[in-house]
Amino acid sequence: MTAIILDGIVLGLQFGLLAAGLTLVYGLGGVLNLAYGQIAVLSAMAVLLTMDAGVPVFAAVGIGLVTGGLIGLIFDQTILRPIYRRQGEARVLLSLLLTLGVAFVVDGFLTWRYPFAGLSLQIGGGPIDLLGVPMRRGSIVGSVVILVVFGLLFAFFRGTTLGRAVRSVIEDEEGARLVGIDPSLMLRIILVFSGVLAAVVALTQSMIRPVTVTAGFSITVLALIVTVVGGLGSVSGAFLAGLILGVINTLATSYIGTFLSLIILLVAAAVTILIRPSGLLGVKE
Amino acid sequence: MTERFADATGTSLVGGTERHAAQSLRALVIPVLAMGAVLALVPFWLGDSRVLMTVSILGLAFACYSIGFNLIFGSTGQLFLCVGALAGIGGYGAAIFADTVGLPVIVSILLATLASSLTGGLLSWIAVRRSLGVIFTGIVTLIFALAFQNLLLGLGDLTGGESGFLIESGADSFLTSRIPAFYLMLGLVLVFMVVHGLLRRSHVGWAFRALRDDEVAAELAGVHVARYRVYAALVGAGMLGMTGGLYALTQGRVSPTTYGFAEVDVVVIVMLAFGGIGSLFGPILGAVTFTAINELLVDLGHLRLVPYGALVIVLFLWIPRGVIPTIRDRLRQRRRQRS
Repeated sequence: MTAIILDGIVLGLQFGLLAAGLTLVYGLGGVLNLAYGQIAVLSAMAVLLTMDAGVPVFAAVGIGLVTGGLIGLIFDQTILRPIYRRQGEARVLLSLLLTLGVAFVVDGFLTWRYPFAGLSLQIGGGPIDLLGVPMRRGSIVGSVVILVVFGLLFAFFRGTTLGRAVRSVIEDEEGARLVGIDPSLMLRIILVFSGVLAAVVALTQSMIRPVTVTAGFSITVLALIVTVVGGLGSVSGAFLAGLILGVINTLATSYIGTFLSLIILLVAAAVTILIRPSGLLGVKE
Repeated sequence: MTERFADATGTSLVGGTERHAAQSLRALVIPVLAMGAVLALVPFWLGDSRVLMTVSILGLAFACYSIGFNLIFGSTGQLFLCVGALAGIGGYGAAIFADTVGLPVIVSILLATLASSLTGGLLSWIAVRRSLGVIFTGIVTLIFALAFQNLLLGLGDLTGGESGFLIESGADSFLTSRIPAFYLMLGLVLVFMVVHGLLRRSHVGWAFRALRDDEVAAELAGVHVARYRVYAALVGAGMLGMTGGLYALTQGRVSPTTYGFAEVDVVVIVMLAFGGIGSLFGPILGAVTFTAINELLVDLGHLRLVPYGALVIVLFLWIPRGVIPTIRDRLRQRRRQRS
């Protein structure tokens, strides 16, 4: 039982991190980025290619993170410009369609150029004992990285002026503008963050199983579901929803079987949305 | 024209609307038939190639899907991201009723259509009861679509799992030869268009427009918003299911990818957004255009997605409301300038 819960937590942390990058951009800009998974895959490919070129792993990982951030910046400067000019549902819909177009372009190019590529970061060494359960070293390292990233995110949002400025834009864009905060600058920062988070998703996932070129779409869909369950725009909601769904998933897998576990996960997500349409920790509109 | 009638007395006003209705029925059927006549020429042009005819039949199926989705999303603003799943209920339903249960083909298709329609209605009812917004309706229906895909894979004994299964019923009939199948699907497109057009012209259409433009105002004016949403979903999902069922029989096989999210929903959204959400001819324009583009780029393999995606981006930046509404507005503007 402990082993199952621990596995669930490892998976849940992954889920939570997936959702964090998506939920921030939605909360701040009302933009639903359907190319989010593709940013993760592009970063993974950047790491893979630099590693193949003989660059040491740590430098390659750094390049992957920078790639993610850069793509976020490029998104903000190009494809999102016309989207920002719209309001409300028209904005969500246009962002959905345009980023879907970007996702097609990236997916098409990558599967054509590198059809069989996949990144897997091997963490050497045997299993580590945790509460009497031998855990794979990759899972532990990945989870620690995710916890550190979440810690940094929380520290940023609660402890720094910049983080508080970002939060003020999430709560009330017009009000933030009145006290002298530039919402578009905050958006740019958050898009870079979101890109880096997508890169971290790819890196930590590759410690447990390979991240393939075709993974983009499934990453986006999973992130979307966790995001909505957690509450759009809420990082702590994403964290909580990720953990809950992760534990539900592993419990269902071990007691009921893999085939029904995804359905149970989906039903759990649907039920949460129906009971609390604003998500676990979302703000009521 | 309407202004002149507004000036007239009450009785002539009523007479005017009646005449207007008769004219608009003709104004609906004639363009639909004209378009049907043009599309009916396709087999004379491509009829020799089995491959191209199969592509054309798929294109018509997508036109039908787009009409069904247009009715649900374009008319009443419910973002159903389970077009493929609802069509799949029709497809797998028809196949299972006909082959496994052994019912006649027509009965199977009707039963499967009913199942799909009721599922759509149920989803809509849930969304209405919980007053979910566009995005949340989208997510819940997306979750339904993913669960449906997973069920198809999991219930392998019934559905044939990953590889799907060959439908034996109707395998020797006219359904599996290409040209009759083409005309069958074309007939379906025309019937759906007329149904959609008639709905738009009836009081249902007025209610749809009212609740799409301003839900609160519509509710205050006495439009039963919830009921009309569910109506639209029942009819639209029925269309999706019937198309899925007929398409499955013309192909003689069903597989999960026939009704996948990326294979159906994404394509339908792109087609409809290109043609014009909410317009009558938009779905057909979108389906024909993107089927042709897809076929022209087929030699590129996976790389085909690149120009396809780039086109999607350019089109939505340039004409975010779709081709047909944009053209209609331009024409109207020019007419106004002239008068």
